[in-house]
Amino acid sequence: MNKRMKPTGMQKALIRRETISAYLFLLPALIFFVGFVIVPMVMCLVTSFFNYSMTEFAFVGFSNYVEMFQDEIFIRALLNTILIVVVAVPVVTVFSLWVSSVIYKMNGAVCSFFRCIFYLPVVTGTVAVTVVWKWMFNRYTGLFNYVLGETGIIDSDISWLGDERTAIWCIILILLTTSVGQPVVLYVSALGNVDESLIEAAQVDGATSRQVFWKIKWPQIMPTTLYILVITTINSFQCYALIQLLTSGGPNHSTETIMYYIYYQAFRLYRYGYGNAMGVILAIIIAVFSAIQFKVAGRKND
Amino acid sequence: MKKIKITPYKVVAVAILAILAFLFLFPLYWILTGSVKTAADINDAVPQWFPMSPTLDNYERLFDNPALLWLFNSVAMAVVSMILTCVTASMAGYALAKKRFIGRTLLFSIFICAMALPKQVILIPLLREMAFLHLHDTMWAVILPTVGWPFGVFLMKQFSENIPGELLEAARIDGAGEARTFTEIALPIIKPGIGALAIFTFINCWNDYFLQLIMLNSRTKLTISLGIAKLQAEMSTDFGLIMAGAALAAVPIITIFLLFQKYFTRGITMGAVKG
Amino acid sequence: MKNWKKWMSLLLCAGMMTGLSACGGDGGSENTAEGNDSGGSEGTEITLWTYPIGSWGDSATVDGIVAAFNEQYPDISVSVEFLDYTSGDDQVTAAIEAGTAPDIIMEGPERLVTTWGAAGRMVDLSDLWDEGTISDISAVSEAVVNACRSSDGAYYEYPLCMNAHCMAINYEVFEEAGALQYIDEETRTWTTEDFGNALQALKDAGVETTGIVYCGGQGGDQGTRALARNLYSAEFTNADHTEWTMNSEAGIRGLQQLVDWEQAGLLSHDAGLQAADELQLFANGTVAMSFAWNASNESNYAEQIDFTAYAMTFPSDDGVPELDGGIYGFGIFDNGDEAKIDAAKQFIQFVCDDETQGPQSVIASGFFPVRSSFGNVYEGSDQEERMTVFNSMMPYLGDYYNVTPGWADQRTAWWNMLQNIFNGNDVTESVNAYVETSSAATQAASGN
Repeated sequence: MNKRMKPTGMQKALIRRETISAYLFLLPALIFFVGFVIVPMVMCLVTSFFNYSMTEFAFVGFSNYVEMFQDEIFIRALLNTILIVVVAVPVVTVFSLWVSSVIYKMNGAVCSFFRCIFYLPVVTGTVAVTVVWKWMFNRYTGLFNYVLGETGIIDSDISWLGDERTAIWCIILILLTTSVGQPVVLYVSALGNVDESLIEAAQVDGATSRQVFWKIKWPQIMPTTLYILVITTINSFQCYALIQLLTSGGPNHSTETIMYYIYYQAFRLYRYGYGNAMGVILAIIIAVFSAIQFKVAGRKND
Repeated sequence: MKKIKITPYKVVAVAILAILAFLFLFPLYWILTGSVKTAADINDAVPQWFPMSPTLDNYERLFDNPALLWLFNSVAMAVVSMILTCVTASMAGYALAKKRFIGRTLLFSIFICAMALPKQVILIPLLREMAFLHLHDTMWAVILPTVGWPFGVFLMKQFSENIPGELLEAARIDGAGEARTFTEIALPIIKPGIGALAIFTFINCWNDYFLQLIMLNSRTKLTISLGIAKLQAEMSTDFGLIMAGAALAAVPIITIFLLFQKYFTRGITMGAVKG
Repeated sequence: MKNWKKWMSLLLCAGMMTGLSACGGDGGSENTAEGNDSGGSEGTEITLWTYPIGSWGDSATVDGIVAAFNEQYPDISVSVEFLDYTSGDDQVTAAIEAGTAPDIIMEGPERLVTTWGAAGRMVDLSDLWDEGTISDISAVSEAVVNACRSSDGAYYEYPLCMNAHCMAINYEVFEEAGALQYIDEETRTWTTEDFGNALQALKDAGVETTGIVYCGGQGGDQGTRALARNLYSAEFTNADHTEWTMNSEAGIRGLQQLVDWEQAGLLSHDAGLQAADELQLFANGTVAMSFAWNASNESNYAEQIDFTAYAMTFPSDDGVPELDGGIYGFGIFDNGDEAKIDAAKQFIQFVCDDETQGPQSVIASGFFPVRSSFGNVYEGSDQEERMTVFNSMMPYLGDYYNVTPGWADQRTAWWNMLQNIFNGNDVTESVNAYVETSSAATQAASGN
């Protein structure tokens, strides 16, 4: 914006002063950011062009990248990851918005009761929650087969995590329960902050509740929505602990995610270079997803 | 208070919510009851809804391990990460939102891009770095990358947009230095945001299983979630023991959440709404 | 003003916390840093990491062993960490890359020799393998010596104990179903035909789940391998351990047989279960047999089991099974510190060779000694009767092919292959694909 007019000497001095003070404010964060994010990130990018393992370190150009797209398991993992994101992000957003819009007008105690309930899986800790879910999904002693069997809905026990058709949906279900906590809390607060006078004015003008929602509430909670979209997307892409603790990517790679495959290549097969190359691609994909969300949701915001 | 109409939709909605609440509450219930059940009760093919013969045996075996130390490690790690993140991110966010300086747009874009990158992607380079700094197997190996994560900067930048420029201008005219302007004008306004960031950082650090797994080896340096995961052996799953560990991990953090719930949620609101 | 004070105190707090924990952090890193200045074995600190091999995964037992060691070697302090099979490999990888690998690690040749040894991270233990040792161990099994030696002739493992993985049946359930006639209680063997008949008898008697071919990954793969390859006496690899051979006629036939039984409802498969889950179901009495049995598991589950868990060998067409073995021992990571390596060697020798400690170390594992000079370490103990059963299976120990390069890759491919064939895919195709994947890994691992 400074380009429009030629800065005078005074302005130049001001900009310089601002720049120096700004960087002083940024310095502590930058030390950590550069030291423990940017440096390893650059190392990651560089080594993705190497045949880098516990024993080797040789430049191979783009061959890791070429191999990746011929690697059927990688493609499968990529598709699974995208499936998880494409299902989880809208469901989490819509679900938490729906829950919040139902509970935000309830009286204080009831509202905070529900809010707590939905936040519980987040604070209970992923590992602990996963262990319980693993039991619930167990084919022989688990809760689901017991309940469904007792009520006569199913005849024979289902191997929830052992069946290619159901395994990934089980993972997504658990991911959902551990993801909606923060969005619900955020939406309840956001809806509570919507200007009541605007709503009343609209109702006086005869607006339906649907119109009130879309014309008045929706624009006001848009920043919250953007924020929720971004954090949920990042979380869904990073879905890893669930996979390791429940399925190890199986059955038959049906729950393989890129995150898990990277981990497997790097930590089990010591193919660091290949793992890093996949990491670079994953980062690009997430960046694109986030950019789209910022563009789409951010524009309406202005 | 507004009058609340009872419509069929509302009845159905509340019913659905109640069912969902059960689904969300159940894991915790099962952890708490499972932690006082005997192995035979836990492995029964017919679920034992209540612990019929409660036992503290699982907890006794849990405390054969340094479980309290693990809990302390988790808390220490999360608190230090939280404080460092809040301090660095609020300063950086303030500068990004309120100062017009050379390289601002570029820097912010880099922060945003880096935020999207999963931490696990850079693990191997991080390991080498920690080896170089001789920090592997110390809690710093977990804290430093957590603090470096630019999410906090992004969040605080959003909150800092709320600081009215006129106030800052007025302070400057009054002759206040940069530091005083920040602490006296900016901080009180973004305080709720810092509260929100504190909670997020705390919980994320608490739950960051993978980073902890890779960075920590020693039994005395493990965190509670790592400790629980390690209690699962290859040839036997001691469910009761794991549940006791999970309960030990969950109860303090849930208590904190319940106690500070109001403060947390209010904090989260104020910033995120006005992006 | 009030706010200002509050924030300043917060910042102050932060600073103090940082300072405090920095001190703690530094102290920690000193411990892990290489102690180059420690000359000789005086005051040497070494670290030992163990996988859960019997009671070697149990701190009380291992602390006792370390205490016994310190009585003779008071200058060497040993700190122990316990790994699990779910994440242990990741932690070792991380520690190797971060330069904090332990001095001593306890596991089997597939990790010590084939993985870390091949990656050049282990110390050659040839000096521990004197002729007396070699002949003592060879007297039990030549395969043990070969498994501990890498292809370049270096010994990366010093073995302590071994076992034969077998299976177990619920004796009472078999009795009730009239299926006991199909097992040879003398030798604990059965033929493939017997096994099929037993499954049928169990099914006819209303046993819902006879056995489960678990294929959910992680550990316990030896059970599924032994089952599939013994049915028609297939070889898992060639004798040189350079090629995977389950795509032989016998191998395919064995796997096809499993699928046929599964489709006839005589046997189950579950890609959602791992060995530990299957064992738990067996212990509960839900399933009539376990394919992941061994001496150590029998003692682990003894408390939970209220029936007779009857150990059996795997069924084979000729009635002579070839069991998969486990060879457990110690390796030393090359951390570049001679003093530590020497101290580590002293520890290993004490634990494995000492006249009184050696047998105790073996008993802690719940398995059998690799040295013939130890004789029957369980003699006169309350475990004698139980261990005699397992000891009688040791002669069936087959080739130790776990040292074939590319093992880790192969294992993942194996699970996927099992998941595939039970999902109705063509057995021959799936096995060929599995062999192809595994061979590629073998070539990659041994090509350099």
